[in-house]
Amino acid sequence: MIKHYSQLARRMTLVGLVVALLPLNLLGVGIYYYFVSANQEKLKEEMLVRAVNRAEAIELFLAERTAVLEVLAHSGQLARLSDQRELTKALQVLNRRTSTFLDLGVIDASGNHRSYVGPYPLQNQNYRDAEWFQQVMLRGVHVSDVFLGVRKVPHFVIAVKQEDEGETWILRATIDSEVFNRLVRSAQVGLSGDAYIVNSRGQLQTPSRFAGGILTPTDFNIEAVPPGNTVVERQVPGGRTLFTAFTWLSSMPWLLVVDQDPREMPGPLSQARRVDMAIVWAANLLILALVLLLVRLFIKQLQANDRERAALDAQVAHSARLVSLGRMAAGVAHEINNPLAAIGELAGELGDILQPEVLAQLPEGNICRDNLTKILGQVERARGVTHRMLKFARSTEPTLEKLDVNQVVKESFSFVEKEARFHNLAVELKLDSGLPLIPADRAQLQQVLLNLLNNAIDAAGQNGRLVIATTRDGTFVQVRVTDSGPGVPPEVGERVFDPFFTTKAPGQGTGLGLSISHSIMEKMGGSLAFESPPRQGATFIASLPIAGSGTG
Amino acid sequence: MSQCKVLVVDDERDFLESLVRRLQRRGLDARGVDTGMEALKLVAEDPPEVVVLDVKMPDMDGIATLKAIKDRDPKVEVILLTGHASVGSGVEGVELGAFDYLIKPVKLDDLIERIRDARERGQLMRRAFS
Repeated sequence: MIKHYSQLARRMTLVGLVVALLPLNLLGVGIYYYFVSANQEKLKEEMLVRAVNRAEAIELFLAERTAVLEVLAHSGQLARLSDQRELTKALQVLNRRTSTFLDLGVIDASGNHRSYVGPYPLQNQNYRDAEWFQQVMLRGVHVSDVFLGVRKVPHFVIAVKQEDEGETWILRATIDSEVFNRLVRSAQVGLSGDAYIVNSRGQLQTPSRFAGGILTPTDFNIEAVPPGNTVVERQVPGGRTLFTAFTWLSSMPWLLVVDQDPREMPGPLSQARRVDMAIVWAANLLILALVLLLVRLFIKQLQANDRERAALDAQVAHSARLVSLGRMAAGVAHEINNPLAAIGELAGELGDILQPEVLAQLPEGNICRDNLTKILGQVERARGVTHRMLKFARSTEPTLEKLDVNQVVKESFSFVEKEARFHNLAVELKLDSGLPLIPADRAQLQQVLLNLLNNAIDAAGQNGRLVIATTRDGTFVQVRVTDSGPGVPPEVGERVFDPFFTTKAPGQGTGLGLSISHSIMEKMGGSLAFESPPRQGATFIASLPIAGSGTG
Repeated sequence: MSQCKVLVVDDERDFLESLVRRLQRRGLDARGVDTGMEALKLVAEDPPEVVVLDVKMPDMDGIATLKAIKDRDPKVEVILLTGHASVGSGVEGVELGAFDYLIKPVKLDDLIERIRDARERGQLMRRAFS
């Protein structure tokens, strides 16, 4: 029984949890991954915006520097700028706001320095074969890729061509890599962020935190980067996955690369993601608690219902048994009554014939007379038995009748009289002769009284005392059955009326008697109670309403 | 008072014969038959004042016989005799016009008393309706 309930409880808990938690967690996980992917999209967007912004700043920087050089070239004549002092003054003017320009040189068409100011000894350098020189001669303005140059130090130059008095000359400036690199690095974010510029041949133009120093080839294929602005997810050596924003500069074939490890960036939706997780966890715990609580309540109710039903079933079975027993008793009584009637008539007729004067003529006539009387006596005795059986049978059919409670008490007691005598009990009947008749079912009342009497006899044991009393108490008639037994222990109390509660040894009692009696009395509109003062035995009190229950 | 005419109907022959003889010895004009059909025949030919009728009989039982008797001659009083204490058939019998019902085995003196009571009621009825 208990195993069955715990099994049911386990199964219900399992089903309840699956039904409630599965959709919740699916939803939770779904929302979580939605947040993750939305977060990544947001992150990519952010990176792109940052890259485009930085690229614009870089272009602005280069355009500004180029413009400054062009203005200088246009305004100053070749002759003036060829003068070392004039050029020095010009560099000072250029660097007044920001010291971007490292040096400044004026170069003639054949590639020789006319003049030079700067920290390096480049005065006598010829640039005829330098790539930037050929480019600027061709295009007029040129910003070079980073190259090692004569000094074997990476740098890049801006050069502008100018025609003056029939002579072609070039104004060339070296850009402070540190200033430029700082500008590019400002696109870096966080501990894992990286930003650098790559030229069209795939060489780093500014140092990178992770991808290597200047002029290192990139770890991706520059040819595969589409024009314009893109964000991709890419694997880098070392197994990391990076988000990378590519932005081509518009004025020259340089690519701004911004790398970011998405794991490092919390992203704007990570807060929402954490809230989602917290809600899902809280809901899980709440549902778990609720399911456990509900299952416990349900099982408790189920147990109570089962107990009640078992008691009811037992009562129904008991009544059914009683009815069938009654039918059998009636059948037996009938079968015996007919031959009994015949015996009675035949013996009676013999008695009619054997009048004293006839008997006087017979030898041992008095014995004949005696035997006839005895036969009739035995018939009478058997008749008493069968009539009792018939009465019992009749009583098993549920009917309401005006009952003399004292009569029912006496009848009920007659069933257990032998048992009481066998236990040598001192029995006292204290019946109130003034009791009114009450409408009730004789058999059911008898069943209750028999149950109380049997219990009392069991409790009283050997040589005990038994008092059966009837009284009127207001609108009720009471039958009180008192025994001299050990009484009902206080810790048992009202549980004596619980189904299956028994103090008898296993197999001796079902524990249903008092429970059934209790429900019978309540159905009749009455009650069944007990009193058990310490060391004075127990008194069970069956009360019936004088007016009847109205329902039967 | 003239002899009371009684008809006893019972399928238990030992009982029937002995009871009829005893009633005769007590000065009643008693006859006995062991089926309901024969009882009806006799009621038609020579109606008795009181019929003592066993309820449980083969073929035609006491209740059916009672109905038939009452149909033919309602003035004939009937006492039902049963080995069975089925209140049902007893009440049904009384509702159908039986004077009373007694449970076997019954003491002869009690039976004779009931027969005399029944006869008295029959006589009263006859006087009232004649």
